[in-house]
Amino acid sequence: MSQFFDFTLSGLGAGTTYALVGLGVALVYQVTGVINFAQGDFVMLGGLGSAVLYEAGMPLWAATLTAIAFTAAVGGLLDLIVIRRARGADSERLIILTIGASVTLQGAALLAFGADSHFVPPFSPGDAFDVFGAIVPRQYLWCAVATAAAVVLMWAFLTRTLGGTAMRATAMDPETVRLMGVSPARMSLLAFTWAAALGALAGVFLAPLQPPDASVGIPFGLKGFTAAVIGGLVSPVGAVAGGLLVGLVEAYTTGYLSSEYKDTLTYGLLLVVLLLRPTGLLRRPSVVRV
Amino acid sequence: MNTSHRARALLGSRAAGYAAFVVLLLAVPAVFTRLPFYTMSVAVLMCLQATAALGLVPLIGRAGQISLGQAAFFAVGGYTSAVLTGRWQVNALLALLAGAALAMGVAYAVGLFIFRAQGQYLALATLSFGLVVSSLANQLPLTGASDGLSGIPSLAPFGVELDTDLSIYYLVAGVLLVAVLAVDALLRSPAGDALGALGDSPVATEAAGVSAATLRRGALALAAGLASIAGSLYAHWSSFMDPGQAGLLNSVQLLVIASVGGLRTPWGAPLGALVIITLSEASKDLIPQVFPSATGNFDIIVYGIALIAVLLFLPRGVGGVSAVLRERSARVRQDGPAPAATARTQKRETQ
Repeated sequence: MSQFFDFTLSGLGAGTTYALVGLGVALVYQVTGVINFAQGDFVMLGGLGSAVLYEAGMPLWAATLTAIAFTAAVGGLLDLIVIRRARGADSERLIILTIGASVTLQGAALLAFGADSHFVPPFSPGDAFDVFGAIVPRQYLWCAVATAAAVVLMWAFLTRTLGGTAMRATAMDPETVRLMGVSPARMSLLAFTWAAALGALAGVFLAPLQPPDASVGIPFGLKGFTAAVIGGLVSPVGAVAGGLLVGLVEAYTTGYLSSEYKDTLTYGLLLVVLLLRPTGLLRRPSVVRV
Repeated sequence: MNTSHRARALLGSRAAGYAAFVVLLLAVPAVFTRLPFYTMSVAVLMCLQATAALGLVPLIGRAGQISLGQAAFFAVGGYTSAVLTGRWQVNALLALLAGAALAMGVAYAVGLFIFRAQGQYLALATLSFGLVVSSLANQLPLTGASDGLSGIPSLAPFGVELDTDLSIYYLVAGVLLVAVLAVDALLRSPAGDALGALGDSPVATEAAGVSAATLRRGALALAAGLASIAGSLYAHWSSFMDPGQAGLLNSVQLLVIASVGGLRTPWGAPLGALVIITLSEASKDLIPQVFPSATGNFDIIVYGIALIAVLLFLPRGVGGVSAVLRERSARVRQDGPAPAATARTQKRETQ
């Protein structure tokens, strides 16, 4: 039983970072209608960036903030350079463009930092927590706090501010929104910048637990897609629930089967969700119109 | 120009196109051994990747069904050939056919479900299918788990051992030629028209009494079969298969090759393989001189940039450039509104 508890806690801990990645995926999808394949690479840029800066001698907090700001800027640039030019293109072309962006970012990171892993220390020193016999690294608490703060902030922004309302309205009806004086292009820029910052946040908080290298973007992105798709791609709460579920599935398979089956089951879960409920577990399918 | 004239002119240009392609394929050994970046092994790789990417033309270019799992079928072929010939001494041709049949069967079965997801969801679904296949290959004892399978025998058709890059080049170039002919013939057949209609409007196609589901499954099975054959040949050529062959990066590479060359024409895949593999080989030579820290598969940056640039500036790929120019000059000559055919292709292209 204590073992089960152990797996559950570590699953939820890892799940919080997947939730952050999923939040970014859902945010961009909601505002622009694009599934952004480069979301995982924002996680990689955040984690790897902070680790490289820390190794170069920067204080940990400064390295963390710089990496997040840098990644947010990369997200904004992705929108300005690539997505904005492809406005009005069909969804297949947009998705292939973000795949191109993902591969480019991964290649750029390999050029700049090589293929090696980099290291950062945990944010707070001290032993892991002992929760009723289960061992939980302190860093997971940071992950959970960061996720909770990000979710609350995002929810408050989207529902309580004019900018957030404009953003949600853009998602529903870009044409009308344009007539009301809101620029969908600016909303898209905002969404990509935010999503990149969310991904980087996940990256920097997870870096002490899983030393990042240039290739971690793909697995993180996939777990983020799974989280967001389970949540129906439009709901922040759904994305968080999806992220936690992915974390739990991963932890239980690692614990009870073998770590080798972890990926098979996670990707299998994504496949099953897509095949059974292509519009997400938490959302009603919409009617296809001609 | 009356119809028979036009048909003859068209046939003439097609025959001329194939003649030029055959000449190019035959000239490759003489040219490639005298240039930087180009070796016979690069030529073999180009033919194999072009064959594997070719199936994406009917599937994505016509039927509008994106696939990010093409490398999974490549791996099915490679592993089937590796296991059957390496472990159980089955005839190589039989093993290749068995691999293609297995890949097509898997594609058909997957196709029963996977097209419920459309658009970006389909991209995710095919992606996760590919990842499940590669992580299975990473675990199963049959596929040698993460070590992969080595010591796959080289091909020896009619007792002629194809153990050099030059000798296997003639085989893979021949396979590529046949594959281009077959896909070209398919695209010009009524089934090809139906696939194009399906890409333009699935609902209208269904309303016309054609089963969209069957067409999509057929296109996926064809793509799987071609990728599988390329995978089998690859396994014999490299004598080694590892789970990475089924991975996402390889699927993306095949998508890049087909997109850069042009998803609407069977010439797109060979053209894309030539452009992309050249850029990739050149970057492996040149980039380390600029970035000493570069390690790993950094040449993927070439795929990424090429993919973005082509999609933004040449939506029909490199192979579509001549068609665009021709249409533009035709429009200028007519000095009137664009002909209906042009308008239709343009509409398709923006989809």
